[in-house]
Amino acid sequence: MTARESEVTRGGCLCGGVRYEVSGPFTAMLLCHCQMCRRMHGTPFASYAAVDPRHRRYTQGEELIREYASSAAAVRSFCSRCGSKLEFRDSKAPNEIWIAAGSFDGDPGIRSSAHIFVASKAPWYEIADDLPQYPEYPT
Amino acid sequence: MLEGGCLCGGVRYEISGGLDKLHFCHCQMCRRGHGGPFASYAAVNPRDRRYTRGESLIARYPSSADVVRSFCSRCGSSLEFTPASTPEQTWISAGGFDADPGIRPIGHIYVESKAPWFEIEDDLPQHAGAGI
Repeated sequence: MTARESEVTRGGCLCGGVRYEVSGPFTAMLLCHCQMCRRMHGTPFASYAAVDPRHRRYTQGEELIREYASSAAAVRSFCSRCGSKLEFRDSKAPNEIWIAAGSFDGDPGIRSSAHIFVASKAPWYEIADDLPQYPEYPT
Repeated sequence: MLEGGCLCGGVRYEISGGLDKLHFCHCQMCRRGHGGPFASYAAVNPRDRRYTRGESLIARYPSSADVVRSFCSRCGSSLEFTPASTPEQTWISAGGFDADPGIRPIGHIYVESKAPWFEIEDDLPQHAGAGI
């Protein structure tokens, strides 16, 4: 276990109503350009970090969380009071949840490893970094 | 006419012109609200932005004394950032656009609050604070 893995990452929504802590290691961080993420986040891409759901604990305001089923398998959650994006999870992958990285209080330690769904990229946004780009979800 | 809307399709709008100042905001409030490394907003006069569906679904959160952030109460999609002090200007979340708005980003603001896990790699102007 590295020093990082023993640390707790805390985060929450804009209004402060929802708070969580992550006690386990993040296994990935991805930047997603699909149109569903773009519409939900209002941005050119979403940024999510994956963690085992057993390692994420809501410490406050779980009753404020609203869920939206954006496809047959995917659920996206947000704070019903301030609209902050919280999580993405896919029922086909029950051992991971994806936390909206903008909600972290500090540095989660992990860094983005790729752009995904670049085939759906916003026409008004150019990717300027050197991270790998995948047209859809990498297999 | 540029159209746009939220993820669930409940809220729809059209913009008849005057879209301007597309930019990226790295302040912590935008980062939390949008769940990402930055928000991306374009300015428009509210007279030129018309909701065509689902205005009753729009929830509003006053994130400061001057600013209201709006989102779809059903799917959580970010919609607008609206300062009371500039009634002729509201800011539309660019991810909601159906198509190319024609304008391009002009810079990054509040980079002094930038996420530690994200690096700005483009050549757009960077402003420590408001700047735009």
